[in-house]
Amino acid sequence: MLENIRYFILRALRNMRQWPFLCSAAILTMAVALATVATFFLVVVNVEQLAQRWTREVQVVAYLDQAPKQQNVQSLINQLNAFPEVISVTYVSQKDAFQRFRSQLGDEASLLEGIDSKLLPASFELGIRPEFRNQDGVNKVIEKLENTLDVDDLRYGQKWLERFNNFVSMLHYVGLILGGFLLLAALFIVSNTIKLTLYARRDELEIMALVGATMRFIKVPFLLEGAIQGLLGGLISLVFLSLSFTFLISRSLNSFWLTPTDFNLLFLTANQQLILVLSGVVLGTLGSLSSLRRFVRI
Amino acid sequence: MIQLYNVTKRYSSDSVAVKDLTLQIGKGEFVYITGASGAGKTTFLRMLYAAEKPTRGQILIDNRNVTRIRTSQVPSLRRKIGVVFQDFKLLQSRTVYENVAFALEAQGKKRYEVSKKVYQTLKEVGLEHRLQRKPLELSGGEQQRIAIARALVVDPLILLADEPSGNLDQDVTLDIMELFKRANARGTTVLLATHDHSLNQRFPRRVLTLDQGRLVGDQHPLQV
Repeated sequence: MLENIRYFILRALRNMRQWPFLCSAAILTMAVALATVATFFLVVVNVEQLAQRWTREVQVVAYLDQAPKQQNVQSLINQLNAFPEVISVTYVSQKDAFQRFRSQLGDEASLLEGIDSKLLPASFELGIRPEFRNQDGVNKVIEKLENTLDVDDLRYGQKWLERFNNFVSMLHYVGLILGGFLLLAALFIVSNTIKLTLYARRDELEIMALVGATMRFIKVPFLLEGAIQGLLGGLISLVFLSLSFTFLISRSLNSFWLTPTDFNLLFLTANQQLILVLSGVVLGTLGSLSSLRRFVRI
Repeated sequence: MIQLYNVTKRYSSDSVAVKDLTLQIGKGEFVYITGASGAGKTTFLRMLYAAEKPTRGQILIDNRNVTRIRTSQVPSLRRKIGVVFQDFKLLQSRTVYENVAFALEAQGKKRYEVSKKVYQTLKEVGLEHRLQRKPLELSGGEQQRIAIARALVVDPLILLADEPSGNLDQDVTLDIMELFKRANARGTTVLLATHDHSLNQRFPRRVLTLDQGRLVGDQHPLQV
């Protein structure tokens, strides 16, 4: 048994050395296939993450007809905070609003000289809990707001929310479909490459069967070889991915205008990295297995 | 050792390779199988090592019915049979040693057994000094001797040779025949398919003659 295992491993390694071109072609094909699928996965994950962050901006701003009296502000804040959908309440007084406007103008702030600081309306800015950052949630808040306050105007980006919801669900479907196609294409290419490598060695398979090698004895070294190639392909794709991630993707994306400055791009987690390498092993083994079935006939 | 009863092999409805073959070959016999190309020699041999299944009839080897054998049992049958081909069928990417050791490794023999036996067999065929060469670096005759060593290294009960000297010149052929005779002298049953009648004149043995898949002659040396 031990003798057999030793033989199988040695045989697999020797085969790879005897056919360096075929072997590296198989490894590289798998590396490219895996890297493509993983890159696509990363893009989807990051776009989703980015999209989730945009919803942080989902808030309802209620502009008030009349600024409330100073002593009433706190009780209003408490009232609004009691809404289950609301996570934070900020009161922006007329003065604060003016101040903000001034600082937003920056160098042009002098334009505001001599203008009444009560020009702008006071407002409540309501942060919405993540689970209510959708149309239904926002609608509920608005309904309640209108019953509670003397509201002049409401801002909550309704159209934007609608589009956002559609975008996220589209992202899921497109991701699934494209990812599925990519995976199929990768499987197809890998199994064909392995078929090619076996085709080049069909004499060897024939002679093995001729001298009375059992199916197991013929197949195991090839499967092992497929697994080793898959492992190497998986590792190469991981290295390639992390290098291109640090030096290309994250740099270019971070300078992309859509990306908030505190946004950290996600790379594969340790588990996902492990899955990537293991799928290389599975890919290599299955690819060999399916091709062997066509070439090994006793 | 080998018994055939009404064996017919049909590849398609109008092409019959072997027709109604009934014959017996005893243990330790040396038999020539002759006939023109297409007479069915190769098909006959291929059926013996279960590379082809007969369309009809039964084949018994060492009292085992080869026609009813399961795929999983084919390897154990082939371990009793050494096969030598006209085109040698050596693995070009492996050394002489590896080519011969291959047959033993396939049977799961231990490493020290393998190396001992391989060396011994290569010495028998006179190639023990070529261990680390690749087949293509050697002459045709030497390559055929490696192929014979690979067939003999497992101590087969039966040695099948399909035109083993088809690609070789006269002198080399005689060397090769010498190897077959020696194997036969040790008790291996030898079946040699050839259309070279001079072999039989030089080494007279039983001759089975096939013509269009039928057995048309079975001569023993005394009758020749």
